[in-house]
Parts: sequence; C-alpha cells; structure tokens
Amino acid sequence: MTDSTDTRSERPVSERCFISEAGLRDLTADLLESGTEVIAPVAEEICASPSAVASAACRMPGETPVEIEYRRLTDAAELDVSRGLPVLSLKGFFLPEHEALFCWEQRGTTITIKPVPTTFAPRVVLAAKPCDSAALEIVDKVMNWGHEDELWNGRRAATTIINLTCPSIDESCFCTAVDLAPDSTKGADGLLIPVEGGYLFEPSTDRGREFAEAHKRHFASGCGGEEHRNRQAEDERAAARTRVAANLEIDAASVRDWIDTHFEDPLLAALGARCNGCGACTSVCPTCHCFDIIDEQTGVGQGTRRRCWDGCQSRLFTLHASGHNPRDTQGARYRQRLNHKFAIYPLKFGEVLCTGCGRCTRVCHAGQDLVEILAAIDVAARRPGTTTSPQEDGGSSAAPPAEEQVAS
Amino acid sequence: MNELRDLARQLLTDGTVRVIIGWEDGRRGARPVFITDPADADKLIFDTRCAHNLVTYLDPRRDDVVNLGRIGIVVKGCDAKAVAGLLREAQVARDDVVLIGVRCGGVLEEAELREALELNADNVAPRCYGCDNREPALVDYLVGEAQPEPPRPTMTIDERVAALDELPLEERWAFWSEQFSKCVRCYACRQVCPLCVCELCVADKTRPQWIEPAAHARGNVSWNITRALHLAGRCVGCGECERFCPVGIPLTLVNRKLQEIVAQRFDYVVSDDPEKPAPIGDFRLDDQQEFIK
Amino acid sequence: MSETMVKRTPAADEAFEPRITAFVCNWCTYTGADLAGTSRLQMASNVRIIRLPCTGRIDPLFIIKAFERGADGVIVSGCHPADCHYNSGNYHARRRFAVFYDFLQFLGVDPRRLTFSWVSASEGAKWRDVVNEAVSNVRAAGPFHAYRALAPDPPAVVDEIDALLAAAEEGEGA
Repeated sequence: MTDSTDTRSERPVSERCFISEAGLRDLTADLLESGTEVIAPVAEEICASPSAVASAACRMPGETPVEIEYRRLTDAAELDVSRGLPVLSLKGFFLPEHEALFCWEQRGTTITIKPVPTTFAPRVVLAAKPCDSAALEIVDKVMNWGHEDELWNGRRAATTIINLTCPSIDESCFCTAVDLAPDSTKGADGLLIPVEGGYLFEPSTDRGREFAEAHKRHFASGCGGEEHRNRQAEDERAAARTRVAANLEIDAASVRDWIDTHFEDPLLAALGARCNGCGACTSVCPTCHCFDIIDEQTGVGQGTRRRCWDGCQSRLFTLHASGHNPRDTQGARYRQRLNHKFAIYPLKFGEVLCTGCGRCTRVCHAGQDLVEILAAIDVAARRPGTTTSPQEDGGSSAAPPAEEQVAS
Repeated sequence: MNELRDLARQLLTDGTVRVIIGWEDGRRGARPVFITDPADADKLIFDTRCAHNLVTYLDPRRDDVVNLGRIGIVVKGCDAKAVAGLLREAQVARDDVVLIGVRCGGVLEEAELREALELNADNVAPRCYGCDNREPALVDYLVGEAQPEPPRPTMTIDERVAALDELPLEERWAFWSEQFSKCVRCYACRQVCPLCVCELCVADKTRPQWIEPAAHARGNVSWNITRALHLAGRCVGCGECERFCPVGIPLTLVNRKLQEIVAQRFDYVVSDDPEKPAPIGDFRLDDQQEFIK
Repeated sequence: MSETMVKRTPAADEAFEPRITAFVCNWCTYTGADLAGTSRLQMASNVRIIRLPCTGRIDPLFIIKAFERGADGVIVSGCHPADCHYNSGNYHARRRFAVFYDFLQFLGVDPRRLTFSWVSASEGAKWRDVVNEAVSNVRAAGPFHAYRALAPDPPAVVDEIDALLAAAEEGEGA
C-alpha cells in the first residue's frame, strides 16, 4: 500500500522541532492573545450546567461524565491533549450545522439581499485528529466540483491545521484500511508527535513552516537533533499504525469495483435491515457533506436563507415533488451510503469518502458496524468468480458501468 | 436462552412466522438481528445488554420488514407496551405479529459491552426501576427465568425529575436551552421511537413549516417540545431516544416528566392493554382546569 | 446564545410594552372580545387576536411560533365546557393545554406568560379582565428575550431592541 503520508523519508529531520507541553500551551495562549481563533479538542462535561443539581440529575450511570469536543478556545488551559476522539468531527467548522447564506428584506417591491461574508479571519486548529483533517481535503473535491463553494473554500483558506498523532482509539478505527494513517498530514499543515516531555513538530506545507517560524520562540532551538526523541516519535507512529491496521485490512480498489458492479447483490440489500434511518452516522461523519437549503421567514418581509446538514438516510432525502421516491426502503438508503462513500466518490474524484474514524460504528446503537460490513464486502470482492470485470484502471473513469438493475 | 432459541426455531420451521426479530451478539455487543433460517435461531440471546426496543422495526412504513410476512418479535415489558400502543392506534394488526415475551429484570445503562454484566445500583438504567410490566401480559409466549426486580439506581429517574423541578425557573430554562442547543436534528430520537410512526412528521412539513429545520437553538427547542408533547400519554419509557441521541440530551427526563403530568392530570399510566384508550384524544367532563381562568 | 440577551434596566422595563398574541375561538371568545369593543370597555391594547374556529384547533406549535416571532406572552381562550360549538373541541384543548402548561414550566418558561381562559360570547367584561390581567402578568415577567436569544435575530429585531434601550437611557439622562 503506497502511503503518500509517510513523511519519514521525505521530510528532512532538521525540520522537526521540539516543543514542550508548557511550550504548546504558551503558544496557544499567544495565539488567543493576538485575537486568533483557536479550535482544539476540549474535555467537556456532558451535563454541564451552572446548577450542580441539574448536572447531577442529567448524568446517567456508567456514562463518562466528560466527553471531548472541538471547541473555540477561550483559554489555553482548555486545550485537551489526551488524544481522545472528539464526538463530532471538524466538519462543523467548515460546513456548519446551519449557516446563513443571505438575509433578505422586502419593502413594497424593493428587495434587499444582505449576503454573508465569504472571507474569514485567519484561525488555527490545534491537535486535530488526522482522520478529521484528511476528511477536509477529501471533501474539497466535491466542494469545487463545477461550482466553487465560497464559504467552504473561504474557511479552508483561512485555517491552519496542526494534527496531533493519534494512538488509535479502539476496535472500530480503520484509517489504514482507507489509505490513511494515525500520523497522516493529509488536509493539514503539520503534525505534532508526542515524545517525552512534549512533542516533535513536523510541518508538512509551506503554511505549516510559516506557522513554525512565526512561533519559533516556543520551540527548542536546534531543530532536528536528539536521536532518542526521533526514535520515540517513529516508535509511537509505527505502533499506532499497527494497532489500527489490526482492525481491518481491505483492498479499497476491489471493494470499490465490487460495489460498483453488484448494485442488486443481496449482500448489499441485507445490510440495511437493522438501520433505523436515524442519521446519527451522517451527523458525526467527517466526510458526509450533504446539505439542505431552507428559507426561514423571521418576520413580515424579512428572512434568512440557510443551509443545514441533511442526511441520505432520511426517507425524505430523495422524495420527489411528484411523490415518487427512488430510495423508498432503508435497505436502498443504506446501500446508497456505502455506494457513495466507497464506489461513486472514488470513481469520480479518486478519493474514498471515508477516513476510517469509526464514529459511525460507535454512534450506531442499532449495531451497524462498518468494519464488519467492509470486511464482508472485501471477502465477497476477493472471492474468485463473483466479480464482473472491474474497470481497467479503476480510478479514472467518470461514469460507472451499466448495472444489471431492473426498475424497482 | 435455550427456551427462546427452541421456540424461535419452532416458529420458523413450522411457518408460523417468516422472520424472528431478536437480539444477537455482535462485535461491539448485543444488537438486533433478523432471523429467517431456523438454523440461525441459536444466534438469539437475551441478557442485560438487550436494551434495544425492537418494536421500532414494526413501523408500518418499513416496507423491507412488512414485506417479509408475519413477524415474530422478542419483547421486554416496555417493548410490549409499545406494541400495545401500535395496536391501539391501528398501526399494526394483532394477527401480523407473534409476540415472544421475555421475563426481564432490567437492562444496563451503558449496554454496548462485549459481556453482559450483573445489574447493580451503579450500572442499571434508571428508567428500569419500578417497572410494572416485567412479565408482559400482551404476549403469545413468555420465556425465560423469573428475574429479580431491577436494583434501585443511585438516583432514580423520578428523583432526577424532582431535582430539576425544585430548581428556580431561570436555572431550569438555562439547563434545558443548553441541552436542546446541542441537538443536531439528526432525528435519531424520532426514528428509533417505536411510537413515532406518522406518515409525514410535522417536523418535515413544509407547507406550512411549523418547526424550523435548522439546528439552531430556536428550531431545536421547537422540535424537542413537539416531540415530547406528541408522545404524551404514548411514551412507554424504553429510553431508546436518549440512548440513540449522538449528543447526549437527557430525553428520558423529559419523557418521564410528561408521564408524571399525564398521571397527575388524567390518572393514566401507559400499559400493554391495547383496549385502554390513550389520554390525549380522550377526555372527561370533569377534567382538571384550575389553570384556566 | 447571550449575544442578543438584552440587559434589563429599570428604565427599559418601564418602557417595555408586552406583545401578546391571543388565539381565540370564533364562536365564543372572538364574539366576546367584539362585544368588549362595541361596549367601549377600556382595556390594554397589547393584544393581537388570531381567530380560530375552535380551541380544539389550537396546536401548541402556534404558541411556540408566537414566542419565536417575538410574543412575550400568549392567551388561549374559548367556549366554556359544554358550550363548544363543535361539542367537544374545548375538552380536547383542555387536556392538551393542561399538559402543555405543566410541561413548559418544567422547561423553565414563566407561567405568567401563558394565560388560558373560557370567555363566552356575552362576557365582554370578562375578556377585558383577562386581557388586563395577562398584560400585567407579562409586564411583570418582562420581555421574553430568553426565547428570542435562542437564534441569531434578524437585524430588524435587534435594532428595535437597541432603539428601545437607547430611548430608555435617554429618558434616564434627561
């Protein structure tokens, strides 16, 4: 498996600079003081309330009272470096759950449109999960397909993202199976690798280098030295990759081709049985990006047009104005999710629309397990005689082959 | 467990049902399973991890399931109440389902575990305490050993509701508006609820649009109030809404408060008797009206 | 959430005129309100009336919508039990609003903002009393900024609130 995120051989060791834990917090404090928005994982009480009584009433037994979320920091002390997985991905900072596109006001026959700004103040994401940053680069493709999405692009252009190597989370992670890694810098500008006393920082883009340069007083001088730290960093990364790889290994290309040519296969149809169509998976997913556009009338002659997250697992997603619904069963909708992520998007953009973060599996309380599902498809794909002839070059065809689909 | 498996095997073999919906062991814990082959009946389990209310799969809009034919479904007490709700509202025909009741002693709050745990005050789901339907009556079969009562949790769900009730108004508003602003409008609560079966949910209505779809706090408050009110007198307290919520809104507290209101106002408690009419939609000439001038 | 919360000052409070939406049934309360008008009864003018065929038609969502759109308080009023033009609409409303009233308080909404009444076609004076009492209760409860602060306000509402505050402060300084 070619790993384009393997920075070990490409990045000169001299670019790796050490920053202590305290140094990282000081850097964060500096950013905040200069008025820069800093987004980072924060440990939050699920049942936070100014009222202790309300907090106690809300917290259910066995529940970890604290969960991690990406938040805009108000103080450097909030920065959580425990490397747990935030509940929601970074997606919401680039494609918010709901965002105004413009406001309108109508007086008589005069309509005034007030557009929202499409340029954004520079901001920094610290200690991002590699699966979350990689998702942004993957979604960049569709956000610039045909039409360039100014709000998405504006936010992307304004944001410097520094990843923090992931230790792997649990048995539902599978980033390595989709050509990523716990130390990937795809979609990001640099990587922090935990070592004794702090982190080694490796910039991976010019913006990352500028970031290091701008904050160099927080880094130890003489970057690239200290053999034992370099070794620790390599060991850390290798161990994490091994842990994740143990969860799932698939041939993403043959999975793609199998899904593409087995639309009517009973295996795909059966996978949606448990699914409730609740949409939790699409909400927590870092690469799901479908949105709906709604008009909110907030008063006589005034309103706001917003876009807000939508999900393909809802029955309404493909409901036509005529009343016809081409995906009228949960089986069809769930099949669509797999199809879009692992076949359609890769065929169209050359990227799997999934970063293996495992959130969908963890959040599905009906027991839908993407690791299990992908493993099953991989097995079917590799079984001789069950595949129709796949694309010659797999990744570059624009249109999927004709399916043996009958009208349903 | 063997009793359950043998019964399932029998019902499938003799064609009484075309599918059995029950629980099985998955990689991450217990989860729903659809069994059509009698040989697979051994997959069925029942233990303290089986929190899922399988009655959600009886939703008449689920063509996938409806088209399978007559369904056998395993139900705990709360689940059986949900079936009664669907029967009461003519969403399901009694002859279309075979109900396999299990004797239940409660489930874990944190149910997604590889191994089942014995229940105690610190791990039991608070909503189980005081359950009045541990040997469901509505069922066609009742299997499993008699179970002890669910242990009293450290803080019962009624105590939690009472604690909130005692707070001053502003603190309650601050708490609930904070909780509802977490909502991402995935509608998991609605999708998994066995009683949420409307052909077109009012939240999806666009002509006119009563509930703002955007996930801002204002739209979320409207949605969460409506969801709760539309379940008043219907909610069976299975807790699935809260379990499925990806952002951890304590919906069982909302639902429990509504159960209390309905009990106090109309002397009504949800049961698994489909003949008993639901309180909203019904009325008495001497209903309370002290709040009306 | 708190960016649009407005600071309460005594001056702003005094300048505050509650906005109340009343959902009333056509056959009883609407007619009763009309009688209050034709009888030239003096009453607070803060109430906008929305006419429905019956209280049984009133969905709690109407009330939520009123709060979303800027109402500080709401009145729901209809025929007395046994007098409903459609026989039982008000009985259904009675149950529905009993639950709604209790539930909204649990969520932290001040019960002074919700007024329910039975006002018949001949009870013009009662309608006046209901209105005056509702306005007085909502005035005491204050503007319902907490509800409007739930989402970004359209600029017009924020401007209005700012203008109100500015005027109040001017009055204080004068």
